[in-house]
Amino acid sequence: MTDIQAIVLALLQGVSELFPISSLGHTILVPALLHWRNIDRSGPTFLAFVVVLHLGTALALLTFYRKEWWAIVRALVASVVRGKLSDERDERIGWLLVVGTIPVGILGVLLQHPVRALFGSPAPAAAFLAINGLVMFAGEALRRRQHAAVGRTDHPIERLTFAQSVGVGFAQSFALLPGISRSGASMVASLLCDLDHEDAARYSFLLATPVILAASLLEIPKLFAPDAHVVAMQAIVGCIVSGVAAYLSVAFLTRYFKSNDLRPFGWYCLIVGVTCFVLARMGVLT
Amino acid sequence: MKILAFVLAAFFFIIGLLYGLGSINFLTKSGTAHAHHVSHLVVAWILSLLCLVWARFQDAPARH
Repeated sequence: MTDIQAIVLALLQGVSELFPISSLGHTILVPALLHWRNIDRSGPTFLAFVVVLHLGTALALLTFYRKEWWAIVRALVASVVRGKLSDERDERIGWLLVVGTIPVGILGVLLQHPVRALFGSPAPAAAFLAINGLVMFAGEALRRRQHAAVGRTDHPIERLTFAQSVGVGFAQSFALLPGISRSGASMVASLLCDLDHEDAARYSFLLATPVILAASLLEIPKLFAPDAHVVAMQAIVGCIVSGVAAYLSVAFLTRYFKSNDLRPFGWYCLIVGVTCFVLARMGVLT
Repeated sequence: MKILAFVLAAFFFIIGLLYGLGSINFLTKSGTAHAHHVSHLVVAWILSLLCLVWARFQDAPARH
């Protein structure tokens, strides 16, 4: 892997992990589009590099939401010590995040490798990216219908039920499929649970933080694989680049979703997904 | 419910231990016996810990 490739992949990871456009799908499709045949995606050096990129993204999310996380962790510890649940906002959000993380934690560990072995090539990733776009359109349409027909109104995150949080967590699990976006799936599920776009994005990013952090921490032994030290410098630069890109992305998206919806990302996923699928079927993407 | 929470906590603890020791390899990357599946161990033990937290909350009087 060259230095330029490392920086491009780090930028791609930092941006696409938080934008609802699937980081996994893009890390399959972009190298295939650019014919980067020198990258061995299952090699120890590349895996170590990917671990560090995820660590950068997770640290960026933790930094951006540092005040909220501090309040949530304190509230969680206090409730365990007390042995009693209260209606306090941070505590409620904390337990919703814990409950919502369980499905993706279990399914991620059990299904990650078989799913990637089955679908980790350009054509399925492109197809799922297009489906990801359709899911965002469908989510927006359903939400508008719910609000128009039934007269449902938005409520804050802490009003989610635990069952709804498990549902959002299950939706997030679909991101195991390359091309399906973690933040996109959890945002659509949150919107259907009557969060507005701003809160849906915030809840999605908070829910993603422990998952991305745990996934990268669990893979840290790969950094000590015999050949992994070869990419040490690229990994350090990659961590910084992906961290900065993720921080800027989350800052942009939290502002964007104050007054906008998922449809532009839906169009992007649909157009790129269909185009890449056609290219893959023609043998252009390898 | 408290008993169920303790039973589940023990179950997940043992499952985690078995994954860690390599005695079971259901849905693991290598699928080979006698490999140490650390991520499976960690997730099972986190679930065990959450079951203990759930048991802890059973002590509290019901809210009105």
